[in-house]
Amino acid sequence: MPPLEAWEKVYIDGEDFLEDTHNKMGCVVCHSGDNTAEDMESAHIGLIADPSEDNCNTCHREIFEKNETSLHTTLSGFISALEARGGNLEEGSPLATAFENHCQQCHLSCGQCHVSRPDEAGGGFLSGHEFKSTPNMKNNCVACHGSRVGDEFLGENEGVPKDVHRKKGMQCSSCHGQELHGSGELAESRYHTTTAVSCTDAGCHDDLYDTADSNPQHEQHLEDLACQVCHAVDYKHCYSCHVSIDEQGIPCRTSEPSVMDFKIGLNPLKSAERPYDYVVLRHVPTCPDECVYYGENLLPDFDAQPTWKYATPHNIQLNTPQNASCDSCHGNAELFLTEEDLRPGEVEANQGVIVPEIPNPSY
Amino acid sequence: MKRLFLLAIGFLFLITFAASGCIDDVVSPSPGVEVISACVTCHTDKEVLQELAVEEEEEESEATTGEG
Ligand code: HEC
Ligand code: HEC
Ligand code: HEC
Ligand code: HEC
Ligand code: HEC
Repeated sequence: MPPLEAWEKVYIDGEDFLEDTHNKMGCVVCHSGDNTAEDMESAHIGLIADPSEDNCNTCHREIFEKNETSLHTTLSGFISALEARGGNLEEGSPLATAFENHCQQCHLSCGQCHVSRPDEAGGGFLSGHEFKSTPNMKNNCVACHGSRVGDEFLGENEGVPKDVHRKKGMQCSSCHGQELHGSGELAESRYHTTTAVSCTDAGCHDDLYDTADSNPQHEQHLEDLACQVCHAVDYKHCYSCHVSIDEQGIPCRTSEPSVMDFKIGLNPLKSAERPYDYVVLRHVPTCPDECVYYGENLLPDFDAQPTWKYATPHNIQLNTPQNASCDSCHGNAELFLTEEDLRPGEVEANQGVIVPEIPNPSY
Repeated sequence: MKRLFLLAIGFLFLITFAASGCIDDVVSPSPGVEVISACVTCHTDKEVLQELAVEEEEEESEATTGEG
């Protein structure tokens, strides 16, 4: 997605512009300023470039209220992960400053999904100030979810094919819809929302359990292995992210080059919706001294959370190396996360997810 | 937030410049668009925007490495 040029970001396509309900209202209703003033300079003092916050709610109240609980609004996935590791995010704390500098910009306004590209990607209209009911895969979602989910889904990791759903022409919005506005209840992480979409939602693979007896692997394992354990392929792992402020005073971060790998481990988030014993795990960028620039020991209880986390790689394939036969997986130690895969300093944190025993071969 | 602010400033610049253009009758609205305000007049004129738009200062740190 090449960035827009400065003029393109604010160019309104004249043709349909005034047909849109929103645009008929006139600019100043949402963007402020005074369009009756003769002197334009003063007429535009106080201009609000992204007026989502105080305007969309006047007409879209229900969505607005729900959206207050969306992870895109609250970023509670970040917050709960930091707090679970003993992080103190009280106002003015060193970690709160780090959060403000490095995480807060991922907060999304309504307009950044429906009117413009996200600020994080430089902003600019999606299509001449048109209000798009469906956000755009590349210009909205992948602008942020690029390096992991985006690359997986679109097949941009070298040697790894795109997701089977993408091959059929599907977009992010083929599965993700208004649940992105949140459920109305605050959730700790993306795997705790009550509205998260799944492979077996109505209309999608909801007949698998009825047809399992025609597929020995399904028959054996639909209940205890997550779908991705058999149907995902190598996905990205990140290590050793450190955040700081550079010499120009701009927030920056460094991390090691990412690594492609595939690791099955124990399910750290077992629940009624996620009953599996085994899931695939992704190493997340964090490390014990991630925020050391802001102070020593800001995550004092680092070991309380695994660094190999529940994952749902978006590169689903019908046939994968591990599902070629029962024994492609059984006895194949490479596929499983064990103590040997853990970095020093992360051994304790991951005791709950490493596989104690590789399943026996020869079934 | 900083980006938003920059964008707002950018907008201001654009509109101010474009407005002076409008007064000089240099800018004409695209066909089919009803002139409802100077904002629309200028923001629908590609040439005016191209002439006046200022690239925002790059806020990405050069010290950043690896994937986000
Ligand atoms: C004055 C009331 C009003 C305000 C304010 C308003 N909307 Fe709407 N919006 C509507 C109405 C009415 C519709 C449905 C009619 C239509 O499709 O044109 C709508 C439809 C939409 C749609 C669906 C468009 C489609 O093509 O189906 C989106 C997306 C949307 N609004 C987003 C927003 C966002 C984002 C904001 C704030 C920046 C906002 N709206 C502010 C009245 C409003
Ligand atoms: C500004 C960057 C940004 C954009 C744009 C964005 N996301 Fe996200 N998204 C995030 C962040 C950050 C989180 C994690 C928040 C957390 O865990 O606290 C997230 C979480 C999610 C989640 C899990 C939480 C949930 O609400 O179910 C899904 C699914 C998701 N995004 C899909 C999408 C899709 C689809 C789009 C495009 C319509 C999109 N995102 C656009 C940054 C973004
Ligand atoms: C993370 C991206 C994202 C954000 C942020 C977001 N939406 Fe949406 N919105 C969506 C998606 C996805 C859909 C469903 C699109 C589809 O069904 O094709 C949608 C649909 C809509 C619709 C159409 C509803 C209908 O009945 O068809 C409206 C109106 C809307 N959103 C308004 C808003 C408002 C107002 C906000 C802020 C309070 C907001 N959205 C924030 C992604 C987002
Ligand atoms: C133990 C490994 C395993 C697990 C777990 C598993 N699958 Fe499969 N799945 C397979 C194999 C093997 C095939 C057959 C491949 C072939 O046809 O070559 C298959 C076939 C399929 C097919 C195509 C044929 C059909 O039956 O419709 C779909 C769709 C599918 N799986 C979806 C899922 C979903 C969704 C889940 C999770 C609920 C899941 N699978 C869990 C191994 C697995
Ligand atoms: C992608 C990996 C994978 C594939 C493919 C796979 N299995 Fe397994 N299997 C496992 C794992 C992991 C366990 C350990 C599960 C547990 O203890 O809950 C297991 C356990 C078992 C067990 C023991 C169950 C128990 O509770 O002790 C049997 C029996 C079994 N598998 C049969 C099969 C057969 C038959 C096939 C082929 C039709 C097969 N598996 C394919 C991963 C796999």
